[in-house]
Amino acid sequence: MGVQNAVLGAHNVSKAFFGNPVLREVSIQLAAGRIHALLGENGAGKSTLINLLSGTLAPDSGEILVDGRPVTALTPREAHDLGIAVVQQELSLASHLSIAENIGLGAYTRRGGLVDYGRLAAAVAEIGKELGLVESPDTPVGRLPLGRRQIVEIAKALYIKPRILIFDEPTSSLAAPDVALLMRLVRRLRDRGVAILYISHRLNEILDFCDYVTVLKDGSVTADRPLAGLDPTGLVRLMVGRDPRNLFLPYASQSTGALVLETKDFRAAAAVGIDFELYHGEILGVGGLVGHGQEDFMMGLCGAIPAKADHFRIFVDGEAVRSAPFASVAEANARGVAYIPADRRKEGLLLPHSIDFNLLLPLFASRSVERRRGAEESAITERLAQRLNIRGDRRRPAQALSGGNQQKVAVAKWLPLEPSVLLLNDPTRGVDVDTKREIYLALRAMAAEGKAVVLLSTDTPELVHLCDRVMVFHKGGVAATLPHAQASEEAIVAVAMGVQKAPALRGEAV
Amino acid sequence: MTATLQRFAAAYARSLVAYAIVAVLWITASILIAGFGAYAHLRYIVELAAVIGLVGIGQTIAVIGGGIDLSVSAIITVTAIILPLVSFDADATGLGAIALALVVAAGIGAVNGLGIGYLGLPPLIMTLAMATILQGLLVLIAGGSAISVSNASLDWLGSTHVLTISVSIILWAIVAGVCLFWLHGTRSGSLIFAIGTSPVVSKLSGVPIRRLTLATYVISGVCAGLAGLLLLSMNGQGYVGIGDPYLLSSIAAVVLGGTPILGGKGSYLGTIAGAVLLVTMTALITVINASEGWRSLMLGGLILGMLPLSGRDQSR
Amino acid sequence: MAGRGARLYWAIQWRRNDGLGALFLVLAVFAVVYAVLFHGIFAIGAASKFVQGWFPTAMVAAAQTIVMLTGGIDLSVGPMVSLGSVVAASSMDGPLGVFGGVLSVLVLGAVVGAIVGVFVAIGRYPAIIVTLALSFVLRGVALLIMPRPGGFVPPLLSDFLAGVHPTTAILLLLLVIIWKLYQATPLGLGLIAAGDNAEGAYRSGVSVTAARMCAYVVSSVLQALAGLYMAAKTGSGDPLIGEPMTLAAISAAVLGGVGFLGGQGTMRGALAGSLLMSILISVMFFLRLPLVAQYIVQGLIIIVTVALPLIRVWWRRTA
Repeated sequence: MGVQNAVLGAHNVSKAFFGNPVLREVSIQLAAGRIHALLGENGAGKSTLINLLSGTLAPDSGEILVDGRPVTALTPREAHDLGIAVVQQELSLASHLSIAENIGLGAYTRRGGLVDYGRLAAAVAEIGKELGLVESPDTPVGRLPLGRRQIVEIAKALYIKPRILIFDEPTSSLAAPDVALLMRLVRRLRDRGVAILYISHRLNEILDFCDYVTVLKDGSVTADRPLAGLDPTGLVRLMVGRDPRNLFLPYASQSTGALVLETKDFRAAAAVGIDFELYHGEILGVGGLVGHGQEDFMMGLCGAIPAKADHFRIFVDGEAVRSAPFASVAEANARGVAYIPADRRKEGLLLPHSIDFNLLLPLFASRSVERRRGAEESAITERLAQRLNIRGDRRRPAQALSGGNQQKVAVAKWLPLEPSVLLLNDPTRGVDVDTKREIYLALRAMAAEGKAVVLLSTDTPELVHLCDRVMVFHKGGVAATLPHAQASEEAIVAVAMGVQKAPALRGEAV
Repeated sequence: MTATLQRFAAAYARSLVAYAIVAVLWITASILIAGFGAYAHLRYIVELAAVIGLVGIGQTIAVIGGGIDLSVSAIITVTAIILPLVSFDADATGLGAIALALVVAAGIGAVNGLGIGYLGLPPLIMTLAMATILQGLLVLIAGGSAISVSNASLDWLGSTHVLTISVSIILWAIVAGVCLFWLHGTRSGSLIFAIGTSPVVSKLSGVPIRRLTLATYVISGVCAGLAGLLLLSMNGQGYVGIGDPYLLSSIAAVVLGGTPILGGKGSYLGTIAGAVLLVTMTALITVINASEGWRSLMLGGLILGMLPLSGRDQSR
Repeated sequence: MAGRGARLYWAIQWRRNDGLGALFLVLAVFAVVYAVLFHGIFAIGAASKFVQGWFPTAMVAAAQTIVMLTGGIDLSVGPMVSLGSVVAASSMDGPLGVFGGVLSVLVLGAVVGAIVGVFVAIGRYPAIIVTLALSFVLRGVALLIMPRPGGFVPPLLSDFLAGVHPTTAILLLLLVIIWKLYQATPLGLGLIAAGDNAEGAYRSGVSVTAARMCAYVVSSVLQALAGLYMAAKTGSGDPLIGEPMTLAAISAAVLGGVGFLGGQGTMRGALAGSLLMSILISVMFFLRLPLVAQYIVQGLIIIVTVALPLIRVWWRRTA
């Protein structure tokens, strides 16, 4: 189908940030009455493409076309007027305004200069019914849990009665019944003639109800075709460009059996009643649906949030040296526990500062009563850069690096402290394939050295292939700890969703 | 050592403009105004700048760390007024009283630091409230009268020259040197920049934020105390309100020197130039007999004009 | 349709009271204490005097709140009020009299607000330093126009605004009504959204720049009008009369639950905060506590108000 018939499209658009190309001459066409999937690895450029299509960003080159006509300098406001609505992962809601006011934000109908609350109330009621939004419309949005806020975000997109609707991972924070509701809604919209662009990681969802797929890989389009005739493996191959099994190395346990950490009845925020042992040399996976306590567990372990436990021991050279959870991150660091947060841009790195400074930060923090010594510091950062393959001038600000390289810096900075336990929160999110492999290799190497690695991941294959054991969280507690032999993707997902069923052994069909 | 100098140079680049303006003003004024360029006169300008410069040390560190200290003027006044009150006969050199006064200043700074670092109060609020409370206490203690002081050390400070350089300038130079070394040559100093850029990232990287915040505001208090003592040595007497002009001057010096008000970047080097620039402008305004109104107006205009240099709020 | 809209609107307004309960309670207690201490306070004369004392604080609290809701802050409130009083007192002498004076003050406010808006909303410079620098500029201009208190305010105006009748109370009511109307417009809601989640508001199609610009203009106009009021009350302009008002404005806003990050807080909270402060000052004044006590109390109020929620959070975390 040609660009001319597309309701919304991009033609050869390119976009780069701080010198890093994110999109290279990408073209895509959305047609009315079609659910179009946009697939790609984390970091492949999907979110950027959406921003270009919705006017939040402008392309460096190339055109955005609406109904076949190029539009220059599209703004979000114009996009709305043209009937384009986006539901993004990062919510655009104002937490102190009510649900109703948020739904109509930017698109209020007026009556005598003032907002027409009557029309607003009616529209909100109607949309609310379609989405199962039962909360009272006067509730301040900040009061709602993340999943419900996501529903409000969707309601907001529906308010302007869009012709084109773009979804960026809409189900990532939704509970199962809401997901089903959303699927039904999307189908209804398609039948009404709305053009839909749908981004999701959940391949089953994609195959279930999408009609057409465009695949992005490292900023370029590698496939653009109807979904007919594709199966999950085929899809993955399109995304990754190789057999997925080549991404991971053959599994080999390096656990030494020596305890490095153990705790009983560990509690931190939403995580409760956790009994947990960690051994030197092991890679322990942590899985579960988003928001079931696993992040709180990690953050409690490293001292970032308050935690309590009936029993807590850290072992150094076989001796127990600690009997209560850490009260601060600095304390944890001093005892050899390091935490790499999920959001590297806001929590992991000081973006405006040099790569060198970022690499040295934890070292400075833990031993701060010392002079700066240029030569010594250069040697340290040089070693780190070599170890994790961080190339280029390290005096550049961390901002200038790609997501994958930023993640490498976020991990490398802890190595000078020689931690015995590394807690990683979703380290490969938004990272390109090659860097993922490098990170996996690095984790393996660290385990080989005797370090213990705790890997929280929303990417189930990672848990399946890398980990000696997988702790699966459900509703704030550990529902099951699966040994490698039993940790198949189906088993992990089943436990995460609370299904009471004996997990299938690896290799068996389910 | 060269790496430290390199970092120095990077920070220096931003404050270059302030130094350039000072140079231009000095040269032009020396040519156009008789006596302006005389050594004694320029030295006097630097002596006056020393007060702002000293307060500016604490203010610079607070700002780089993402905060601000609005209580400096009150601390200056407290120190100036309290000195005669803590003087005792056995203290021949007067150093004992000076030490006590500085302890009080440090104590006030510590209260600020505890509130901001440990209770999590916003620096604007904590230091503003502290300033208000101190104003009240000051009136209680000193009323409206000026309190003269005789302190051997202060007299020496205010009148002696070593190799034609005033002791006060030497004092400023020494304290400035220590500050610069700390900020650019030590690890803990570097951590201040990290805190100012992102407290969240700093906390998760194990930076001892609370300790460093406490240190920041104690340093600010001590520097304001030193400035107060310097003022006292120049004036001979302390009175309520003596420190008032120095709050806005210290902030102006920091901003004019190229340190962004939101923190995370900058250098005290710039503040030095900012302080000298401020005093130069005041001197010029006095020479052309402009009124208080003009002074205030031009100061504000100058800061607004220098804004493009110190940086914007990058978020939308 | 209208009924439904009204129901939604008032439900939302009611919800916005969440979190203000404590403040309103304290305010009620102090109001009762005040009434008990000074019977006769409800007589029209005494009541008018009280409202006239409260009004300028209420105005600047409102002005500061508008700015803080967008995520900014205004450190030039005091000098702006002074300048307003100076301009008022010097322009009423002219051929257009009172009308000319009021017009000049409105124009002053709009122009200054636009200047701040250009720097903060368009230039994206931090509001704290822009308004700090501006405070110098405004102070200088006020001193240049009127180095010493003086000028002329027609007694008619003084009597109208500051005499023994409820005009001021009505003006206050007008202020509240205008604010409620403004907040019920897309621009007003956009203002809160812009302060709450600027990126999100932009993506929603809200013009963040326009909303902020508007906020600064309205805020400055209110400040200038407060200056006009002060001039009418005292009968002359004074280039330094507004000095304590910056702190008072911030205190009232903070007391009323307005946050520094934007989007959080309500006008009613700020007004309640300013009222509480006025009552406290009056009580202290009548109890013959020295002026210093006022300062100290004000400082303590600020600290306690801000510290209380933080302490509560800290307590809950470590308990």
